[in-house]
Amino acid sequence: MIKQLWLKEIRAELYTWKSTLWLLIASLLFSFTSYLLLTNKELSLLDQTELLWLLGKIIIGVAFLIIAIDASSTITTEFEQETAESLFLSPISLKDFIVGKFLASLTLWAMIFIIAIPYIIVASSGSNLALPFLVYTAILGTLGIAGLITIIFGISLLYRSAKNTLTTALVILLAFSIPALFSSTLKTNTVADFFSRINPIDNIFSSLDNVLVDYQTSLLQNVKYLLPLLIFCIVGWVFLVSAAKRFKKEGVIKND
Amino acid sequence: MTDMKKIVIITILVSLVSLLAYKTQADTNLPLVLDILSSKDLNGIAGDFVTVQAQITNISKQPITDITTYLSLVDNENKLPVDLEDWSAEKGLFIGTIEPNQVFPLNWKIHFVKAGIYSLVIVATSPASETPQVSRITHFKVSPKHNLNPAKVLPVALGVPIILLFIMGAINYRRQREEDRQI
Repeated sequence: MIKQLWLKEIRAELYTWKSTLWLLIASLLFSFTSYLLLTNKELSLLDQTELLWLLGKIIIGVAFLIIAIDASSTITTEFEQETAESLFLSPISLKDFIVGKFLASLTLWAMIFIIAIPYIIVASSGSNLALPFLVYTAILGTLGIAGLITIIFGISLLYRSAKNTLTTALVILLAFSIPALFSSTLKTNTVADFFSRINPIDNIFSSLDNVLVDYQTSLLQNVKYLLPLLIFCIVGWVFLVSAAKRFKKEGVIKND
Repeated sequence: MTDMKKIVIITILVSLVSLLAYKTQADTNLPLVLDILSSKDLNGIAGDFVTVQAQITNISKQPITDITTYLSLVDNENKLPVDLEDWSAEKGLFIGTIEPNQVFPLNWKIHFVKAGIYSLVIVATSPASETPQVSRITHFKVSPKHNLNPAKVLPVALGVPIILLFIMGAINYRRQREEDRQI
């Protein structure tokens, strides 16, 4: 049942202009960035590893934004378009419903990653960093996005409103993103350092920095960044499970 | 006592005091020798990696404990010390104990991050002495690197969106045909 739901969702996601347009916009952003980095005389003075790190941050940032918007609507649309009732009348458990949607959102991330592959390869040309860049973008992106999706799905089940879920998701994303862009000198006090250690986006950017700029490419050398991301995923799942337990199937259809 | 004898005695006394003062000062120095084995001048292009090879030797007859060795990099053009973040993954190396006459190799992988002229020294400190030991200077000359690569990036920057547009068009065409068939 999960597979059917997943395929249905992918079909709905990718069989429309709207969804594929997002992928086109993502590719245009990657094109613009990589072209600028490799052709602008001032920007080309950046060390190649710094250039790759910047590209990595843009790929992850664009993916987080697209997935946050998509995941905010994927469950709530079923309530707002009143299709949830018929779904729950069929022999579909809430678990299948959530896992199917979760896999569909992860598939969208996979598609963004596939689009980013040529840019990663061309920007890494001559540096031997293409493989670590690809592997770590895949691992870090998947962990971060999986955690983000679970939190947004949990909020969706509690709110049942696309507008409120989207607003909350964007606020969470901003709360994670803005401190991650601060320089290391601004993270010297205890509170900033603690938030930096638990912030998933900060951990993704720091791990990419560790791999691409400092050549610390083994998993062991990045475990201090991967572990908080794993914990973020677990916390997200716990939140989603508790939201699913509070969720009641009745009252899906409006009484008007 | 003749004046000549007085002068000789004073000279001998002053020499003895100077020698004693020198010896006392020498005793406060760490009995460590920092030798840089790699070249005195290391040149490269921004983005290159070089290894600074050095060794530390305990020249005393006593073991020395808690030795911290670290790098100090100075930007000669701006006359400022450089934050080693991104230049070296290992900022310092700690040596618990170094036995008499024991030699420890010290290797630092340095990443040339920014173009410029730099001076690097290795410093060794220990709680046993107030005065650190400093190696000789290694000079870095880092040339700028232009990552200009329009020939490779252009096909990708144009190709990927064009392929996606083509796929979008194909999906839309197929959907239209399916809808027409249903009608």
